[in-house]
Amino acid sequence: MEKKFLPKGVIPALVTPFNAKMEIDEEALRSLVDYVIEAGVSAVSPCGTTGEFVNMTPEERKKVYDIVIDQVNGRVPVIAGTGDASTQMAIELTKYAEDAGADAALIVTPFYLHAMDKEVYEHYERIASSVDLPIVLYNIPQVTGVWIPWWVVEGLAKNISNVVGIKDSSGNMPYFMTLIEKLHGVISLICGHDEIASAALAAGADGVLLASANIVPDVLVEIYRAIKERHDLDRARELQRQYQTIFRFVARFGGPLIVKRVLWMMGRDVGSARRPLMIGGFCPYEVEDEMRRRLEGYGRIPRRTTEFELEPGRIFTSEYPAIPYTLPRITGLLLRVGEAFTSPSTADVAHVDLILGSKNGPVGEAFEEALRNPRPGHEPRIVQLNGVEVKPRTLMVPTVTIRTERHAKLVYGPAMEGVARAIVEAVERGLIPKDMVDEIVIIVHVFVHPTACNPTRIMLNNYKAVNHALKKAIECRPTLGELTERKESARHPFRYEP
Amino acid sequence: MGTFRPEGIFPALITPFTKDGTGIDEEALRRLVDYVIEGGVSGLVPCGTTGEFVYMREEERKKALEIVIDQANGKVPVIAGTGSSSTKMAVKLAKHAEDAGADAVLVVLPYYLRPADKGAYQHFYEVASSIDISVVLYNIPQCTGGFLSREVVEDLAEISNVVALKDSSGHLPYTLELLDRVGDKINVLCGHDEVVMPALAAGAKGAILASANIIPDIWVRVYNAIKRWDLGEARRLQMRVQKLARIIVRHGGAIPVKAALNMMGIKVGKTRRPLVSGGSLSWEVREELRLELEKLGKLEAVAPERKERRLLEELGVPVGSSFAVSVWEGSAGERRERVSVRIAIGSKDGPIGRAWAKAFACLEPGHEALLAVLEPNLMARPPTLILPSVEIRNMRQASMVYGPVQAAIARAVQDAVEEGILTMESMERDVALVEVSVDPDAVDRRAIYTNTYAAAMTALRKMRQ
Repeated sequence: MEKKFLPKGVIPALVTPFNAKMEIDEEALRSLVDYVIEAGVSAVSPCGTTGEFVNMTPEERKKVYDIVIDQVNGRVPVIAGTGDASTQMAIELTKYAEDAGADAALIVTPFYLHAMDKEVYEHYERIASSVDLPIVLYNIPQVTGVWIPWWVVEGLAKNISNVVGIKDSSGNMPYFMTLIEKLHGVISLICGHDEIASAALAAGADGVLLASANIVPDVLVEIYRAIKERHDLDRARELQRQYQTIFRFVARFGGPLIVKRVLWMMGRDVGSARRPLMIGGFCPYEVEDEMRRRLEGYGRIPRRTTEFELEPGRIFTSEYPAIPYTLPRITGLLLRVGEAFTSPSTADVAHVDLILGSKNGPVGEAFEEALRNPRPGHEPRIVQLNGVEVKPRTLMVPTVTIRTERHAKLVYGPAMEGVARAIVEAVERGLIPKDMVDEIVIIVHVFVHPTACNPTRIMLNNYKAVNHALKKAIECRPTLGELTERKESARHPFRYEP
Repeated sequence: MGTFRPEGIFPALITPFTKDGTGIDEEALRRLVDYVIEGGVSGLVPCGTTGEFVYMREEERKKALEIVIDQANGKVPVIAGTGSSSTKMAVKLAKHAEDAGADAVLVVLPYYLRPADKGAYQHFYEVASSIDISVVLYNIPQCTGGFLSREVVEDLAEISNVVALKDSSGHLPYTLELLDRVGDKINVLCGHDEVVMPALAAGAKGAILASANIIPDIWVRVYNAIKRWDLGEARRLQMRVQKLARIIVRHGGAIPVKAALNMMGIKVGKTRRPLVSGGSLSWEVREELRLELEKLGKLEAVAPERKERRLLEELGVPVGSSFAVSVWEGSAGERRERVSVRIAIGSKDGPIGRAWAKAFACLEPGHEALLAVLEPNLMARPPTLILPSVEIRNMRQASMVYGPVQAAIARAVQDAVEEGILTMESMERDVALVEVSVDPDAVDRRAIYTNTYAAAMTALRKMRQ
């Protein structure tokens, strides 16, 4: 059966930018479209899952189709997300998208009230027969609670001429392999799960339609080209592996939320996700912090000359990987406080409280006092990496009373190594000006649970937590705004009885 | 044949192992049998899930069963856990149980390599056919990875010595479907400690429970209350043990049961590896378990001695001197949930700042200072250090402070900023020290949170006057 449009390549599942009033931010949307097209994507897809279609009115969705089609202006195809729980609404939106000039429609399976095979088949059949627009089926059981069985896909693909593809976001490779087995060359097979993008492309996927293509479209385009144009699997694998944390976080911790926060950190403000999604909920705070640390490592957080005023008139500068919250001049370095918690593994979590400040101020004084009068069970250590003291001088204080040899080994071994690595890296990355390292000192509270057991995780959790806490100390975060917004819904895990 | 039909309360006996873990602690097992029989149970179930059968060799399972039968000495019937992944082994163990004098066998759905309906049916059929004593089917999807299908149960119920089914799923629609389909043929027994009362009220004939090792008497009272159709009493008793039941079901079964028995002085040793204290049962939850046992009168509460220090003064905060910084006080709550706070807020470059940094760097054993956070990754500003004035001696006390107190102080500080008691400048310029006094006997986390918050707000509002 001849298909008139077969989508392929890298296709970002565009976020829908909202302004402060949580209305569609047309300007930001247009700018985002240009950004991804310039990075070389093959098509764009507004109003999908990442586009928060489910929290938008039909009128808003139509408006977004119009804006995106207008801004794309024929440069690449537009695949409009027109799915809905109701067949009638899906038809209305698909017709609108066709009239507006979309090149295809991406239609998710019905959700909430779980339809059976027959009902899913006829849902798509009715929509497809109401338009000439090419239709891409969309399987995302994580959110719909429904799988499209492969035999339903096969039936739709072979019997309805304008069913041209399927996007499978399940991440279930055996399912995707069945689609390839049955339908390769019949319709486009698009992978929608960021974590297995290169694996799916290598196995025979025609394209990838991904949330992470808002953030790193260039990386995904390079992966796609390496596989499809140069048959260079090693290169694709290397890139996928390098960015896998980004892909994993995007896929597992609430698409639109984290994608929007990351774009904001990278200097592209697309607003927040609509409620009920909240940072700190489905996407934990530590994921956002870790995403930032990773992106710093890839050089994707813009660096800005930042001044550190140690005391009036004494200024040090660094090229600081800055987000909009970072002030151009950091003052009040007498005493700064930051806190961070990282997981996983309940037993091996890190919870770091950290203070930094001038060696001539209260922090320096406390540093010396702690060394003079070590408290039993909380003996402080000057942090070293491979036998060399790190700079700035850092004192580590264990918060859980040390009672066993095993516990002591984990605290002064892997936990300290994590702290040390984070401090060294912070100076390398410009979080602390290089020429200021002899002027300040740091004191870190390290929490290692008495039942902790995994040295590698203890090291990595402390390494991440110290990086996060340092930035919070320097940037005075959480800010008043963050605290005001987040205090009501805050849920301390130990506030509740088991 | 198969005339014994279990009704009533049955403990799923734990298996005490010797100190070195290599054998069964016969003496401890016999003591436990006596303890639960005195508690009024209707029978005993050794070598079930709670009995760690899956970590025991064949000979050990046989030996444990023989000890239990001998110690029960005909006072109550014995239902032997003889399940196995392999049909051949399940048959072998069932035959041994019959020879050893057990009244019934409890046979779990095969696990790991999970059979479909045919294999499941054949497994139970072959076991039932190999013996004359009663067979109890056993559904526990949390462990086996799947439900015993309702259709298979319907067919198995036709076999003359299949007399009962133990359902540990806790899934009441499943339990009620079985009552509907086969309730007239076999006895449905509840195996999930959290839903005993509703299952019995719906028509289950009894229960096989991990927590009946610990509180056999209470479960017997629940059972008797239902028999009398005194639903109010049954519900009241179920609610009394609900948290204990929840901890046992959700934190590792055998681990919390053994921990509880050991606390009560019925020494039964440890679980076998890989199960280990501090794993499925965290140390924090273990202390909650102790608390529940105290409430139920199974354990005498030992009130820790209250040692309190004036930490603000010790840190050199010049309270009451001629350069006095103001310290604001507040308290709230009654008896053991009463909380008192003393708050000092001041500039980082002043005496409070110095004291703050010192308290942070020099953690006092038993009075470890910690930052106020609304939750992890959301610290309060101005940065606030909590100083627990009452010595912390155990995990329960610790978890009252590192949770309810930590969150309540943070919330109070942030609300004080919103109310304008603390200014925006203060968020950057100042630090706060909050000395908090929480009774060592405190048990109610919600009350501690509420009272800490109220005490802190009282203190903070005094600043305005």
